[in-house]
Amino acid sequence: MNERPNILFINTDQHSWDAISAYGNPYLHTPNIDTLHRNGTSFRQSYCTDPVCAAARSSWATGLYTSETGVPFNGGHLHPETPDLGQVLSDGGYQAFHCGKWHVPGRDVRESFQTLYYGQRNIGAGGAAYYDSASTHAVADFLTNYDSDKPFYLQIGYVDPHDVCEYLHNHEEKRIPNPVEQGIVSEDALPPLPENFDYDARETVLHRVCRRVDDALIHAAILKGVRDWDELHWRYLRWNYYRFIEKVDAEIGRVLALLRETSLHHKTLIIFSADHGEACGSHQMFQKFTLYEESIRVPFIVACLGDGVLIEKDRFDETHFVSGVDLFPTVCDYASIDVPEGLQGSSLRPLAEGKDVPGRDYAYIESNYWGRSIVTGQYKYVTEYKPKATEDFLPPGPDATQFGLAQLFDRHDDPGETKNLAEDTAYNEVAKMCQDKLLRQEAKLHRQQIVHPSPKRIISNWGDRLRSYWQHDK
Amino acid sequence: MNDNSGHHWSFDYNYGAQNPQFAQELIGTLREYYAETTACDTRIGQTFTHVYNILPNYWRGYGGGANEELSIGTAIIERNKDNGFWNYSVHYENTTSGENLRMQFRCSAKHYRSLTDSWRIDARNSGDDKYAELRCEGYLVEDSEVRLRINGNEILAGTVDASAKLTCNWALFDVIPALAQTIRESDDGVDLVLLEDLEQLRPKSRLGFLESIQTPFPLDGYYLYGAGLLPSYWWLDTHGDIVIASTFFETLVLKEKIGENA
Repeated sequence: MNERPNILFINTDQHSWDAISAYGNPYLHTPNIDTLHRNGTSFRQSYCTDPVCAAARSSWATGLYTSETGVPFNGGHLHPETPDLGQVLSDGGYQAFHCGKWHVPGRDVRESFQTLYYGQRNIGAGGAAYYDSASTHAVADFLTNYDSDKPFYLQIGYVDPHDVCEYLHNHEEKRIPNPVEQGIVSEDALPPLPENFDYDARETVLHRVCRRVDDALIHAAILKGVRDWDELHWRYLRWNYYRFIEKVDAEIGRVLALLRETSLHHKTLIIFSADHGEACGSHQMFQKFTLYEESIRVPFIVACLGDGVLIEKDRFDETHFVSGVDLFPTVCDYASIDVPEGLQGSSLRPLAEGKDVPGRDYAYIESNYWGRSIVTGQYKYVTEYKPKATEDFLPPGPDATQFGLAQLFDRHDDPGETKNLAEDTAYNEVAKMCQDKLLRQEAKLHRQQIVHPSPKRIISNWGDRLRSYWQHDK
Repeated sequence: MNDNSGHHWSFDYNYGAQNPQFAQELIGTLREYYAETTACDTRIGQTFTHVYNILPNYWRGYGGGANEELSIGTAIIERNKDNGFWNYSVHYENTTSGENLRMQFRCSAKHYRSLTDSWRIDARNSGDDKYAELRCEGYLVEDSEVRLRINGNEILAGTVDASAKLTCNWALFDVIPALAQTIRESDDGVDLVLLEDLEQLRPKSRLGFLESIQTPFPLDGYYLYGAGLLPSYWWLDTHGDIVIASTFFETLVLKEKIGENA
């Protein structure tokens, strides 16, 4: 008799923590993710390790932060000696399967997992319209035919709502009438602008150079396009984003229905999360790549549709901080498999079972190689490392003398992060407390030098731009 | 109009250096289609077929490399009228996803092409993975429950009001021409329930009139919009054929018609 549960990790892409109807969002309808919430524990203080696909996914795959994995941005390359979850689970007696988006450059998913479906042209960053339905078909085929005595681990990487990126690319070079002009919807059918549409321009240099200046390092063409947007265009972006989520919710619904129908649901643990979020107009920003909440905070649900896995159900955990590095040890805990040495995360199993155990009291997030953030119960601190005079390709930290500018937000009084308190002397002690926490966390990291030529080129190019900005524009 | 290629924004995906051949491919396909349809008698028996070229709206790896064709597949919609019903057979082949779908369904002969009792989907994956094929059979139970049976396992896809007009997105190639006048005359468009690819129920869908254009050809534009759907745009020519159907991610361009719509 096999006592170890099957484990199903369903992940969506670019899905902000609050874009779920069970969490009170009135602008979309996600009945199937809602079902997961009702059958599990939703961790509300859940953060990705790095707000971009490849980086965040490298943490899922390894249980490490992105300055440790070799993938600190989309063009990274996973360090070859780092073990991944598929390898560890297979060695531990699980059948480890993958379906859909992987996006961990430097590691061939087919070498670490048995792949149910990975596209004829391997799935890259986007393309939900081509891949998600096929992924569901592959999972349907798998669930209705699974007859092994071994427990399985299956990770399903849905691409949506990442296709909102293509929606944005579509606005790079052409003007698309807003839907009210098109006559498709009335204005009152669109979600309102986010309350934090306006923002405090005192942002880090890294943020400005990557996302705000005319020749921004990341998606300058989209930035140019959205500068011509009126309010309705921003609201239409939000409307579209929610439709992408409804599409992927429907895919998840078919998987859950088949899981029930095949009776596998009793002994299957389900984890649901997303690699990162979507700004969707907050701070007049789009996509991810920033350290604002909409970009870094993601859903994380641990659930079971049956009674075979002990889970506290229909519950919000509002206090414990969860990180993308926790996926690996959580899966291994449920699978009764030892984790490799050096992992940064912790198992969420005791918390999901409702046990009163101490958890992490902060989340640590990296971004664009030099960006750093610490989120605590009341405060959020964002800072950056200045680029080194001579780049050695060792991800920076911990070194307070090399910090650049900072942003500090009071999460209680200003949840939308619209007022930067970092320069307010009344908050000096808070800023120092956050810095100390950040430095202590960074001291625990096993940072490795980037050796692959492709990410080295990116670091060199971006570093040059940042140095130039510090010298001439700051 | 778009400053980029001069074509309507709903099917203009030239998209800088990423997708430079899009407009050329789209217009080239249509020019060839019109040249050939007027040149020969295409009527063959009772079967009426549309063949569409599938173009990716975004190049970024969804199509082939720089030296490959832009087209990523073909959609063939074949139907014949039998005993007061239309029998559809749709073959959708996508070389990016690697999934080939064959969808068979029967509709009433009324304008809305309402789905009748059962349908079938055969999916095949040509990629190098464990998933090779899947058969899914669908049923309409008591005109309200949409059920799917996959490898002997039956799930509820959703319920619809018995009076709702339930149809499939692939039947819209006939529904829109049939309802064109009605849609144009309606301020709010016409409501229908869509079973997308015969699997996903979209209960609150609506067809509406967008606008008419003269370039590159005289075309009337319609939109499809609804819960769980990204808007798609359908362009009807003066012969009553949908020649461009642009969904969020791909654009179908008519390249061949065999037979005439009875």
